[in-house]
Amino acid sequence: MASSTRTKRSQATKRPAPPSRIRHAPFLLELGVEELPATFVKPALTHLVDLAKSFFTEHRLSYASIRSLGTLRRLALIVEQLATHQTPLSSRVLGPPKSAAYDASGQPTQAARGFAQAHGVPVEALQVEETAKGWYLCVVKDDPGQPTLTILREQLPALIQRLSFPKSMRWDASRLRFARPLRWIVALHGTRPIRFTVGEVVSGALTVGHRFWRRSTRVGRQFIEINDPYAYPALMKRAGVIVDPVERESIIRAQLTQLAHRVRGHVLAKHADDLLEQAVSSVEWPQALMGRFDEVYLELPQEVLITSMKEHQGYFSLVGSDERLLPRFIAVTNVKSTKLDLIRKGHERVLAARLNDAKFFFHEDRKCRLEERVERLRGIVFHQKLGSLYEKTIRVKSLVGALTELVGRLDLKERCERAAYLAKADLTTGMVGEFPSLQGIMGREYAREEGEPEDICRALAEHYEPRGPHDPVPENPVGVLLGVADRVDTLTAFFSVGLIPSGSEDPFGLRRTAYGLVRLLCERGLAFDLARLLEQAHHILEAQGYGAENRLEVCKQVRAFVMDRLRFYAQAVRRIREDLIEAVLALGDADSFSLGDLLARMCALQEIAGEPAFDQLLVGFKRAHRIVQKERWTGADVDPSLFEHETERVLYRALDSATRQIDAALEGREYKKALLALLSLKEPIDGFFAGVLVNADDPVIRANRLSLLSAVDRLFGKIADFSRVQSTA
Amino acid sequence: MTFQQLILSLHQFWARHGCLLVHPYDTEKGAGTFNPATFLRALGPEPWRAAYVEPCRRPTDGRYGENPNRLQHYFQYQVVLKPAPANSQDLYLESLAHLGIDLAQHDIQFVQDDWESPTLGAWGLGWEVRLDGMEITQFTYFQEVGGLEVDPVMVELTYGVERIAMYIQEVDNVFEIRWGDAIRYGELYHDAEVQFSTYNFDASDVDMLFATFTAFEAEGHRLIERDLVLPAYDYCMKISHIFNLIDARGAISVAERTEYIARVRGLARKCAEAYVKQREAKGFPLLALQPSHPTAPKVRKRRKAAVA
Repeated sequence: MASSTRTKRSQATKRPAPPSRIRHAPFLLELGVEELPATFVKPALTHLVDLAKSFFTEHRLSYASIRSLGTLRRLALIVEQLATHQTPLSSRVLGPPKSAAYDASGQPTQAARGFAQAHGVPVEALQVEETAKGWYLCVVKDDPGQPTLTILREQLPALIQRLSFPKSMRWDASRLRFARPLRWIVALHGTRPIRFTVGEVVSGALTVGHRFWRRSTRVGRQFIEINDPYAYPALMKRAGVIVDPVERESIIRAQLTQLAHRVRGHVLAKHADDLLEQAVSSVEWPQALMGRFDEVYLELPQEVLITSMKEHQGYFSLVGSDERLLPRFIAVTNVKSTKLDLIRKGHERVLAARLNDAKFFFHEDRKCRLEERVERLRGIVFHQKLGSLYEKTIRVKSLVGALTELVGRLDLKERCERAAYLAKADLTTGMVGEFPSLQGIMGREYAREEGEPEDICRALAEHYEPRGPHDPVPENPVGVLLGVADRVDTLTAFFSVGLIPSGSEDPFGLRRTAYGLVRLLCERGLAFDLARLLEQAHHILEAQGYGAENRLEVCKQVRAFVMDRLRFYAQAVRRIREDLIEAVLALGDADSFSLGDLLARMCALQEIAGEPAFDQLLVGFKRAHRIVQKERWTGADVDPSLFEHETERVLYRALDSATRQIDAALEGREYKKALLALLSLKEPIDGFFAGVLVNADDPVIRANRLSLLSAVDRLFGKIADFSRVQSTA
Repeated sequence: MTFQQLILSLHQFWARHGCLLVHPYDTEKGAGTFNPATFLRALGPEPWRAAYVEPCRRPTDGRYGENPNRLQHYFQYQVVLKPAPANSQDLYLESLAHLGIDLAQHDIQFVQDDWESPTLGAWGLGWEVRLDGMEITQFTYFQEVGGLEVDPVMVELTYGVERIAMYIQEVDNVFEIRWGDAIRYGELYHDAEVQFSTYNFDASDVDMLFATFTAFEAEGHRLIERDLVLPAYDYCMKISHIFNLIDARGAISVAERTEYIARVRGLARKCAEAYVKQREAKGFPLLALQPSHPTAPKVRKRRKAAVA
């Protein structure tokens, strides 16, 4: 609608005069909203800046810089030196050749008239222009542009509505959607307010300050007039709002340090960044305060205290120099009150109630041992098509036993099975019901209380690790093996019932599961044949009556899925060249290698691939490989008595010795050594090609030479598919 | 300020702002939202402003009267405003000031809370309002109720009355709240907490509850067939509560949970749809009342004046 009226107007106004001089002035946009979710603020500001940048470019409005400011109640932009008028645009459009445009008498032809008409200009206005192909008609189009004010007034409503949020709502009859109700808009260019309507809101120069600034019982908005975009931050500060998130962050940081210092402690580093970001986006005027809680709660596991403070209340935990929790917390409030004591007491009381509840769970939960809880897992569904968590527990227990055999750690079998049996029991506790993020951790704590061996206790928490892509991988072998078995079971189980991630759909987080598996295997150097473990996992599933039909296909799919994660890991984390990753993964029997092995090959390859000699070797190899491929040569027997030239003999001997070295190196998983042995073939291969023609006239000799090259090809193929390696020279 | 004065004060405030003071509904329920004055009145185009106290039952929250903050039976003070006025937040804050809470001297934060009631097929966006870190109110702009879009949007304010009373009276134990001048909350409700916790967690007859759930559900559907929407909705509330009782015994697995919730929601949806149809047949009579709701237009005028 808006664009059609604009088009009409520009058609109506004939050739508006370009502005004599384009000036510049700062621009301010502030969207006032009811409190946004804290997590929305930062992404919304980023999005707003992006939208504005493309908006100004699209509309040919020049500016010096854009910065965003904002809190949960306002999203703002300050644009420096925004032009007061669009940049004029002059463009030339070529028409028919001049020769076809005028007749012998110099009168415009139909071609010329048609061209002029198509561009809405009189024929007299047509010009000619010389091009490489000769003279052509052309029309010069001048678009002087419009005043910025006009553009902003007409286009800002659409820009504002393009701002997107993870979740949005309606609140009034306009049916406008936004993350929370939009209540006011400030739009100023220089000192001039820009008026437009979005939903039921009319923009102008008025904003509101901090909700509770200098008012006690008086309610109602106190409006503040902004008459200069540059004055906005300072005016807002006077009204109790620090609009710059960076400034709020540094204030909070300083307050945290200062408060922690008072009790000779420091803020617990874990979660601190998350909490800080949350706090920065949750307040307009940050005021941190330190409170305390009763020391009796220190008997609770530290994670319980930390989680209670963090998840429910957004409080920072404090630790002493020994990294043990202090009975203190820091809350970031949104006040500049004189009665901080009163507020502190309130926060302390809330936390006490929370901790009291945690204590209740801690005592209630321990009335029932983990072992007894395992039975209750029958009542918790793992997935509708895959039975209960009890069934999963039994599967993982059996799988981890098989795994200890595969990795040659039968000494750990019993403990791994015990850990697997208890691994999910804590999901039935009240504490995990209240704080789902404590799953595993409560298992560990309760197992300790019950006197389980320490490596079993730790495994109960560790088998969920790494939780995030950057979290460390556990060290404890029981935890590692349990983590592997749990993940392999999950992947196999979901794949066996056809619940396979596709595109961006991954409702069960199977990519994360597979990625965790890759990291466990690679970073803990577990060498075993993954394919065998997958088969075992499927057997166990079948024994429970799940996914019986398509075992081979499922195992293949899971393998390919895991390999994909390995690709990502090798590339993104280990920075291995893509062609080298593919060269290793293309090994015919790559499936039966252990992941750690594949990664070790990639790493060794990457090391050697940087050397100049390797590139030359690659040239020789690829030549040999191409010939063998082209001939589809499968002959294997090389007869030294048929050699005619010394270079054949040299290559044969070198190949023989390299084969022995490489076999030994591969046996010991010393891939770099194997690659160095390959390098020794560089000169013999080059010599061979320089010394003889493969295509000898005598077919017997030709066959013998082809077999020799084929042996070279096969030897290379033991390490990787070098035909996929790209030369860097 | 005693507990009863607190409620009187809220009544006074919201009556002044055009709310009808209605009463609790005489069926067990988990939240004031279940009261027909919210659930049904949220539906359709008719304006509605009401305030009431609602006793709520949350069987799993029982602590045998031993926890100073958790109860299986407590009160909500519920305010619903439809259409949602542009100054809902200010009105709410004013109500706190009316209770004597000095807004400038406290840390009041609106913390994101996306409310959802899977049993009622309802959801909305809003906040939990925290007073010095304590959640005292749920503030929600309803988007959908009974599976139907809420249009115009209704805003629901649910005050946790005990929490506010504890705050104002500066007591750390809910049972210490002064209800009237001489009687404390504990005198009125402590025995009930002990007995109902025992009933909810240990003594209820689960088989009887399962059987009742099924029977009441069937009754609800049967009544809907006969266009008896209000009695049918009674049974919807009843099965929701029975579900909560069964849940408190840990007798429902995760998969079954979803299924039972879906069954309650199924009945709730039918009630919602039938209710709208009945109101429509009457020509949505309250639409005629619209101008008698004074606050929203008045404030809008002031805003416009300020902007212009």
